Amino acid sequence: MHVMIINGSPRVKKYSNTDKILAKFTAGFTAQGNTFEQYEVSDRKHWDSIREAWDKNDNILMAIPLYVENLPGLLLEFLATVTPKDGTAKIAYILQGGFAEGSQLRCGEEYLVMLSKRLGCEYKGTLVKGDNFSIRFFEGEQQDKVTGPYQKMGEVYGRNGDFFDDECKKFTGPEVFPAHIRFLVGIIFKMFAKNGFKKIAKGWGCDKPLDYRPYGA
Amino acid sequence: MVLIVNTTKDTSITKELQALTGNKGIETEIVEAGDMKISHCIGCNYCWLKTPGVCSIKDDYEEIFKKIIKADDLWVISDTSLGFIDYKGKNIFDRILPIATMYLKFKGDQMRHIARYDKSPDIGLIVTGEADMDYLDKWVLRCAINFESTALGAFGKDELEEAVSCM
Repeated sequence: MHVMIINGSPRVKKYSNTDKILAKFTAGFTAQGNTFEQYEVSDRKHWDSIREAWDKNDNILMAIPLYVENLPGLLLEFLATVTPKDGTAKIAYILQGGFAEGSQLRCGEEYLVMLSKRLGCEYKGTLVKGDNFSIRFFEGEQQDKVTGPYQKMGEVYGRNGDFFDDECKKFTGPEVFPAHIRFLVGIIFKMFAKNGFKKIAKGWGCDKPLDYRPYGA
Repeated sequence: MVLIVNTTKDTSITKELQALTGNKGIETEIVEAGDMKISHCIGCNYCWLKTPGVCSIKDDYEEIFKKIIKADDLWVISDTSLGFIDYKGKNIFDRILPIATMYLKFKGDQMRHIARYDKSPDIGLIVTGEADMDYLDKWVLRCAINFESTALGAFGKDELEEAVSCM
Protein backbone atom coordinates (compact mmCIF):
# COMPACT_ATOMS: atom_id res chain seq x y z
CA MET A 1 0.00 0.00 0.00
CA HIS A 2 1.23 3.48 -0.88
CA VAL A 3 -0.27 6.47 0.90
CA MET A 4 -0.05 10.20 0.44
CA ILE A 5 0.26 11.87 3.84
CA ILE A 6 -0.67 15.49 4.37
CA ASN A 7 0.50 17.12 7.57
CA GLY A 8 -2.24 19.72 8.05
CA SER A 9 -0.49 21.63 10.80
CA PRO A 10 0.15 25.32 10.19
CA ARG A 11 3.17 25.11 12.49
CA VAL A 12 6.55 24.84 10.77
CA LYS A 13 7.76 21.25 10.48
CA LYS A 14 10.55 21.67 13.02
CA TYR A 15 8.10 22.50 15.83
CA SER A 16 5.11 20.50 14.57
CA ASN A 17 3.73 18.01 17.11
CA THR A 18 1.81 16.41 14.26
CA ASP A 19 5.06 15.84 12.37
CA LYS A 20 6.59 14.09 15.37
CA ILE A 21 3.50 11.90 15.65
CA LEU A 22 3.78 11.09 11.94
CA ALA A 23 7.45 10.11 12.33
CA LYS A 24 6.43 7.32 14.71
CA PHE A 25 3.27 6.43 12.80
CA THR A 26 5.12 6.03 9.49
CA ALA A 27 7.83 3.91 11.16
CA GLY A 28 5.07 1.43 12.01
CA PHE A 29 3.33 1.84 8.66
CA THR A 30 6.46 1.10 6.59
CA ALA A 31 7.57 -1.87 8.73
CA GLN A 32 5.49 -4.24 6.54
CA GLY A 33 6.79 -2.83 3.25
CA ASN A 34 4.23 -0.03 2.82
CA THR A 35 5.42 3.23 1.31
CA PHE A 36 4.40 6.86 1.70
CA GLU A 37 5.04 10.39 0.52
CA GLN A 38 4.56 13.23 3.01
CA TYR A 39 3.68 16.88 2.49
CA GLU A 40 3.48 19.85 4.85
CA VAL A 41 0.67 22.37 4.38
CA SER A 42 2.58 24.89 6.53
CA ASP A 43 4.84 25.69 3.58
CA ARG A 44 2.80 27.45 0.91
CA LYS A 45 5.63 27.05 -1.57
CA HIS A 46 4.76 23.35 -1.74
CA TRP A 47 1.03 23.70 -2.33
CA ASP A 48 1.36 23.04 -6.09
CA SER A 49 3.25 19.79 -5.37
CA ILE A 50 0.64 18.76 -2.80
CA ARG A 51 -2.18 19.36 -5.28
CA GLU A 52 -0.31 17.37 -7.91
CA ALA A 53 0.13 14.47 -5.46
CA TRP A 54 -3.54 14.79 -4.43
CA ASP A 55 -4.61 14.29 -8.04
CA LYS A 56 -2.36 11.24 -8.48
CA ASN A 57 -2.97 9.36 -5.22
CA ASP A 58 -5.97 7.27 -4.20
CA ASN A 59 -4.92 6.53 -0.62
CA ILE A 60 -4.74 9.70 1.44
CA LEU A 61 -4.00 10.20 5.11
CA MET A 62 -4.44 13.63 6.60
CA ALA A 63 -2.89 14.38 9.99
CA ILE A 64 -4.57 17.31 11.71
CA PRO A 65 -4.08 19.26 14.92
CA LEU A 66 -7.46 20.41 16.24
CA TYR A 67 -7.81 24.21 16.08
CA VAL A 68 -10.94 25.62 17.73
CA GLU A 69 -12.94 22.41 17.35
CA ASN A 70 -12.17 21.91 13.66
CA LEU A 71 -9.44 22.19 11.02
CA PRO A 72 -6.83 24.96 11.24
CA GLY A 73 -7.64 27.94 9.00
CA LEU A 74 -4.59 27.32 6.83
CA LEU A 75 -5.63 23.75 6.08
CA LEU A 76 -9.16 24.91 5.20
CA GLU A 77 -7.59 27.46 2.85
CA PHE A 78 -5.52 24.75 1.17
CA LEU A 79 -8.35 22.22 0.87
CA ALA A 80 -10.56 24.79 -0.83
CA THR A 81 -8.05 24.70 -3.70
CA VAL A 82 -7.97 20.94 -4.38
CA THR A 83 -10.11 19.22 -7.00
CA PRO A 84 -12.49 16.75 -5.33
CA LYS A 85 -11.80 13.12 -6.20
CA ASP A 86 -14.29 10.93 -8.09
CA GLY A 87 -15.40 8.82 -5.13
CA THR A 88 -12.96 5.94 -5.56
CA ALA A 89 -10.15 7.43 -3.44
CA LYS A 90 -9.92 6.59 0.25
CA ILE A 91 -9.17 9.05 3.00
CA ALA A 92 -8.33 8.52 6.67
CA TYR A 93 -7.32 10.98 9.35
CA ILE A 94 -5.15 11.35 12.40
CA LEU A 95 -6.80 13.97 14.61
CA GLN A 96 -4.77 15.15 17.58
CA GLY A 97 -5.17 17.87 20.17
CA GLY A 98 -3.97 19.26 23.45
CA PHE A 99 -6.81 18.46 25.83
CA ALA A 100 -6.56 14.88 27.02
CA GLU A 101 -10.16 13.66 26.79
CA GLY A 102 -11.48 12.01 23.64
CA SER A 103 -14.73 13.96 23.93
CA GLN A 104 -12.84 17.17 23.14
CA LEU A 105 -12.07 15.94 19.61
CA ARG A 106 -15.47 14.57 18.62
CA CYS A 107 -16.80 17.78 17.08
CA GLY A 108 -13.75 17.85 14.81
CA GLU A 109 -14.09 14.15 14.04
CA GLU A 110 -17.74 14.63 13.04
CA TYR A 111 -16.68 17.22 10.48
CA LEU A 112 -14.10 14.87 8.97
CA VAL A 113 -16.83 12.40 8.02
CA MET A 114 -18.64 15.19 6.13
CA LEU A 115 -15.41 16.56 4.69
CA SER A 116 -14.56 13.19 3.13
CA LYS A 117 -17.74 13.30 1.04
CA ARG A 118 -17.08 16.89 0.02
CA LEU A 119 -13.60 15.85 -1.10
CA GLY A 120 -15.05 12.97 -3.11
CA CYS A 121 -13.35 10.33 -0.98
CA GLU A 122 -14.47 7.23 0.87
CA TYR A 123 -14.10 7.79 4.64
CA LYS A 124 -11.72 5.31 6.25
CA GLY A 125 -11.91 6.47 9.84
CA THR A 126 -10.12 8.83 12.19
CA LEU A 127 -7.46 8.01 14.74
CA VAL A 128 -8.44 10.31 17.59
CA LYS A 129 -6.14 11.24 20.47
CA GLY A 130 -5.50 14.22 22.70
CA ASP A 131 -2.92 15.04 25.38
CA ASN A 132 -0.30 15.95 22.77
CA PHE A 133 0.30 19.62 23.61
CA SER A 134 3.62 19.05 25.30
CA ILE A 135 5.33 17.04 22.53
CA ARG A 136 7.29 20.07 21.30
CA PHE A 137 8.61 20.72 24.79
CA PHE A 138 9.91 17.19 25.24
CA GLU A 139 12.93 15.50 23.78
CA GLY A 140 14.33 11.95 23.60
CA GLU A 141 12.66 9.34 25.76
CA GLN A 142 10.17 11.78 27.23
CA GLN A 143 8.91 12.67 23.74
CA ASP A 144 8.94 9.02 22.66
CA LYS A 145 6.67 8.19 25.57
CA VAL A 146 3.96 10.40 24.05
CA THR A 147 4.56 9.74 20.35
CA GLY A 148 5.74 6.10 20.56
CA PRO A 149 2.26 4.50 20.76
CA TYR A 150 1.48 5.91 17.29
CA GLN A 151 3.96 3.40 15.81
CA LYS A 152 1.62 0.53 16.61
CA MET A 153 -1.27 2.44 15.05
CA GLY A 154 0.84 2.87 11.90
CA GLU A 155 1.16 -0.90 11.75
CA VAL A 156 -2.59 -1.35 12.15
CA TYR A 157 -3.30 1.20 9.40
CA GLY A 158 -0.69 -0.46 7.18
CA ARG A 159 -2.47 -3.78 7.64
CA ASN A 160 -6.10 -2.63 7.41
CA GLY A 161 -5.99 0.60 5.43
CA ASP A 162 -8.41 2.18 7.88
CA PHE A 163 -8.94 3.14 11.54
CA PHE A 164 -12.10 1.12 12.16
CA ASP A 165 -10.36 -1.52 14.28
CA ASP A 166 -11.25 -1.70 18.00
CA GLU A 167 -7.58 -1.14 18.78
CA CYS A 168 -7.79 2.28 17.09
CA LYS A 169 -10.93 3.17 19.03
CA LYS A 170 -9.26 2.22 22.32
CA PHE A 171 -6.23 4.31 21.39
CA THR A 172 -8.25 7.47 22.11
CA GLY A 173 -8.29 6.76 25.83
CA PRO A 174 -11.06 8.01 28.12
CA GLU A 175 -13.87 10.15 26.71
CA VAL A 176 -13.95 12.02 30.03
CA PHE A 177 -12.02 11.43 33.21
CA PRO A 178 -13.85 9.99 36.22
CA ALA A 179 -14.55 12.49 39.01
CA HIS A 180 -11.73 11.32 41.30
CA ILE A 181 -9.16 11.63 38.50
CA ARG A 182 -10.48 15.11 37.67
CA PHE A 183 -10.01 16.03 41.31
CA LEU A 184 -6.41 14.80 41.33
CA VAL A 185 -5.55 16.35 37.96
CA GLY A 186 -7.11 19.62 39.18
CA ILE A 187 -4.65 19.60 42.07
CA ILE A 188 -1.78 18.85 39.69
CA PHE A 189 -2.84 21.83 37.54
CA LYS A 190 -2.77 24.11 40.56
CA MET A 191 0.37 22.80 42.21
CA PHE A 192 2.72 21.66 39.44
CA ALA A 193 1.48 22.38 35.92
CA LYS A 194 1.46 26.15 36.50
CA ASN A 195 5.09 26.06 37.54
CA GLY A 196 5.95 23.87 34.57
CA PHE A 197 4.37 26.37 32.17
CA LYS A 198 6.10 29.26 33.96
CA LYS A 199 9.43 27.50 33.52
CA ILE A 200 8.85 26.98 29.78
CA ALA A 201 7.80 30.65 29.46
CA LYS A 202 10.93 31.83 31.24
CA GLY A 203 13.01 29.72 28.88
CA TRP A 204 11.26 31.43 25.97
CA GLY A 205 12.20 34.84 27.34
CA CYS A 206 8.76 35.70 28.75
CA ASP A 207 8.94 38.56 31.26
CA LYS A 208 5.22 38.80 32.12
CA PRO A 209 2.92 36.66 34.24
CA LEU A 210 1.09 34.15 32.05
CA ASP A 211 -2.28 35.65 32.97
CA TYR A 212 -1.12 39.14 31.99
CA ARG A 213 -3.77 41.40 30.41
CA PRO A 214 -1.99 43.45 27.74
CA TYR A 215 -5.08 45.36 26.64
CA GLY A 216 -6.44 46.25 30.06
CA ALA A 217 -10.10 45.22 30.36
CA MET B 1 -21.89 46.16 22.54
CA VAL B 2 -22.50 43.69 19.72
CA LEU B 3 -19.40 43.29 17.56
CA ILE B 4 -20.05 42.12 14.01
CA VAL B 5 -17.02 41.04 12.00
CA ASN B 6 -17.79 40.59 8.33
CA THR B 7 -15.12 38.46 6.66
CA THR B 8 -16.93 38.50 3.31
CA LYS B 9 -16.80 41.28 0.75
CA ASP B 10 -20.60 41.47 0.65
CA THR B 11 -21.54 44.57 2.65
CA SER B 12 -25.26 44.27 1.91
CA ILE B 13 -25.57 41.90 4.90
CA THR B 14 -24.01 44.33 7.33
CA LYS B 15 -26.17 47.14 5.97
CA GLU B 16 -29.27 45.04 6.61
CA LEU B 17 -28.01 44.07 10.07
CA GLN B 18 -27.35 47.74 10.83
CA ALA B 19 -30.94 48.59 9.94
CA LEU B 20 -32.41 45.67 11.90
CA THR B 21 -30.33 46.32 15.03
CA GLY B 22 -30.94 50.06 14.75
CA ASN B 23 -34.70 49.48 14.84
CA LYS B 24 -34.25 47.51 18.06
CA GLY B 25 -31.85 49.98 19.66
CA ILE B 26 -29.03 47.43 19.81
CA GLU B 27 -25.59 49.01 20.07
CA THR B 28 -23.37 47.48 17.40
CA GLU B 29 -19.91 47.93 15.99
CA ILE B 30 -19.31 46.57 12.52
CA VAL B 31 -15.88 45.64 11.22
CA GLU B 32 -15.66 45.10 7.48
CA ALA B 33 -12.80 42.61 7.42
CA GLY B 34 -13.27 41.28 3.87
CA ASP B 35 -10.28 43.20 2.56
CA MET B 36 -8.26 43.25 5.77
CA LYS B 37 -4.93 41.53 6.12
CA ILE B 38 -5.66 38.72 8.59
CA SER B 39 -3.30 35.76 8.66
CA HIS B 40 -4.07 32.26 9.84
CA CYS B 41 -2.93 31.19 13.33
CA ILE B 42 0.53 29.62 13.04
CA GLY B 43 0.27 27.72 16.32
CA CYS B 44 3.41 29.28 17.79
CA ASN B 45 1.92 29.41 21.33
CA TYR B 46 3.62 32.77 21.92
CA CYS B 47 0.28 34.27 23.06
CA TRP B 48 0.29 31.76 25.92
CA LEU B 49 3.96 31.34 26.76
CA LYS B 50 6.16 34.14 25.41
CA THR B 51 4.11 37.32 25.11
CA PRO B 52 1.03 36.43 27.21
CA GLY B 53 -2.16 37.76 25.63
CA VAL B 54 -0.41 39.17 22.56
CA CYS B 55 -0.40 37.43 19.18
CA SER B 56 2.99 37.25 17.49
CA ILE B 57 1.46 38.04 14.09
CA LYS B 58 1.29 41.75 13.44
CA ASP B 59 -1.60 42.36 11.07
CA ASP B 60 -5.12 43.81 11.08
CA TYR B 61 -6.40 41.23 13.59
CA GLU B 62 -4.96 42.97 16.65
CA GLU B 63 -7.45 45.86 16.40
CA ILE B 64 -10.33 43.37 16.05
CA PHE B 65 -9.07 41.40 19.04
CA LYS B 66 -9.07 44.53 21.21
CA LYS B 67 -12.75 44.97 20.35
CA ILE B 68 -13.56 41.28 20.94
CA ILE B 69 -12.41 41.36 24.57
CA LYS B 70 -14.73 44.31 25.29
CA ALA B 71 -17.76 43.07 23.35
CA ASP B 72 -20.86 41.39 24.81
CA ASP B 73 -21.45 39.44 21.60
CA LEU B 74 -19.15 38.48 18.74
CA TRP B 75 -20.94 37.76 15.48
CA VAL B 76 -18.83 36.55 12.60
CA ILE B 77 -20.16 36.71 9.05
CA SER B 78 -18.41 34.15 6.91
CA ASP B 79 -18.62 32.62 3.48
CA THR B 80 -18.60 28.82 3.37
CA SER B 81 -16.46 26.10 1.87
CA LEU B 82 -16.60 22.31 2.10
CA GLY B 83 -19.78 22.48 4.19
CA PHE B 84 -18.16 24.63 6.87
CA ILE B 85 -17.14 28.27 7.26
CA ASP B 86 -14.33 29.27 4.93
CA TYR B 87 -10.76 29.92 6.03
CA LYS B 88 -11.31 33.67 6.41
CA GLY B 89 -14.07 33.08 8.94
CA LYS B 90 -12.12 30.34 10.69
CA ASN B 91 -9.05 32.54 11.04
CA ILE B 92 -11.09 34.97 13.15
CA PHE B 93 -11.81 32.13 15.59
CA ASP B 94 -8.34 30.54 15.49
CA ARG B 95 -6.67 33.88 16.24
CA ILE B 96 -8.85 34.42 19.33
CA LEU B 97 -6.54 32.20 21.39
CA PRO B 98 -4.90 35.04 23.39
CA ILE B 99 -8.31 35.39 25.11
CA ALA B 100 -7.35 32.29 27.11
CA THR B 101 -4.32 31.67 29.31
CA MET B 102 -2.07 28.64 29.30
CA TYR B 103 -3.47 27.66 32.70
CA LEU B 104 -5.94 24.80 32.84
CA LYS B 105 -8.90 23.79 34.97
CA PHE B 106 -11.84 21.43 34.85
CA LYS B 107 -15.20 22.91 34.04
CA GLY B 108 -17.88 20.27 34.41
CA ASP B 109 -16.26 17.08 33.18
CA GLN B 110 -13.91 18.66 30.64
CA MET B 111 -10.59 20.47 30.75
CA ARG B 112 -10.66 24.15 29.82
CA HIS B 113 -8.18 26.96 29.60
CA ILE B 114 -8.60 29.62 32.26
CA ALA B 115 -9.91 32.83 30.65
CA ARG B 116 -7.55 35.84 30.54
CA TYR B 117 -10.25 38.47 30.93
CA ASP B 118 -13.25 38.85 33.19
CA LYS B 119 -15.71 38.42 30.36
CA SER B 120 -15.78 36.68 27.01
CA PRO B 121 -18.25 37.53 24.26
CA ASP B 122 -21.16 35.27 23.42
CA ILE B 123 -20.70 33.77 19.97
CA GLY B 124 -22.94 33.91 16.90
CA LEU B 125 -22.36 33.00 13.28
CA ILE B 126 -23.95 34.13 10.01
CA VAL B 127 -22.99 32.29 6.84
CA THR B 128 -23.51 33.45 3.29
CA GLY B 129 -23.16 30.14 1.45
CA GLU B 130 -24.24 26.52 1.61
CA ALA B 131 -23.13 24.62 4.72
CA ASP B 132 -24.29 21.94 7.12
CA MET B 133 -26.23 24.22 9.46
CA ASP B 134 -26.86 21.55 12.10
CA TYR B 135 -23.12 20.99 12.34
CA LEU B 136 -22.41 24.72 12.48
CA ASP B 137 -24.88 25.08 15.38
CA LYS B 138 -23.00 22.35 17.21
CA TRP B 139 -19.65 23.90 16.35
CA VAL B 140 -20.68 27.34 17.65
CA LEU B 141 -21.80 25.67 20.86
CA ARG B 142 -18.37 24.05 21.28
CA CYS B 143 -16.63 27.36 20.52
CA ALA B 144 -18.67 29.08 23.21
CA ILE B 145 -17.73 26.37 25.72
CA ASN B 146 -14.08 27.05 24.90
CA PHE B 147 -14.49 30.79 25.32
CA GLU B 148 -16.48 30.41 28.57
CA SER B 149 -19.46 32.12 26.98
CA THR B 150 -22.82 31.33 25.44
CA ALA B 151 -23.62 30.15 21.91
CA LEU B 152 -26.06 32.38 20.05
CA GLY B 153 -26.43 30.05 17.07
CA ALA B 154 -25.58 29.75 13.41
CA PHE B 155 -27.80 31.43 10.82
CA GLY B 156 -27.98 31.71 7.06
CA LYS B 157 -27.99 35.10 5.36
CA ASP B 158 -31.75 34.76 4.81
CA GLU B 159 -32.25 34.47 8.58
CA LEU B 160 -30.92 37.86 9.66
CA GLU B 161 -34.07 38.76 11.63
CA GLU B 162 -33.72 35.55 13.62
CA ALA B 163 -30.02 36.31 14.21
CA VAL B 164 -30.80 39.82 15.42
CA SER B 165 -33.42 38.44 17.81
CA CYS B 166 -30.51 36.60 19.51
CA MET B 167 -28.31 39.70 19.81
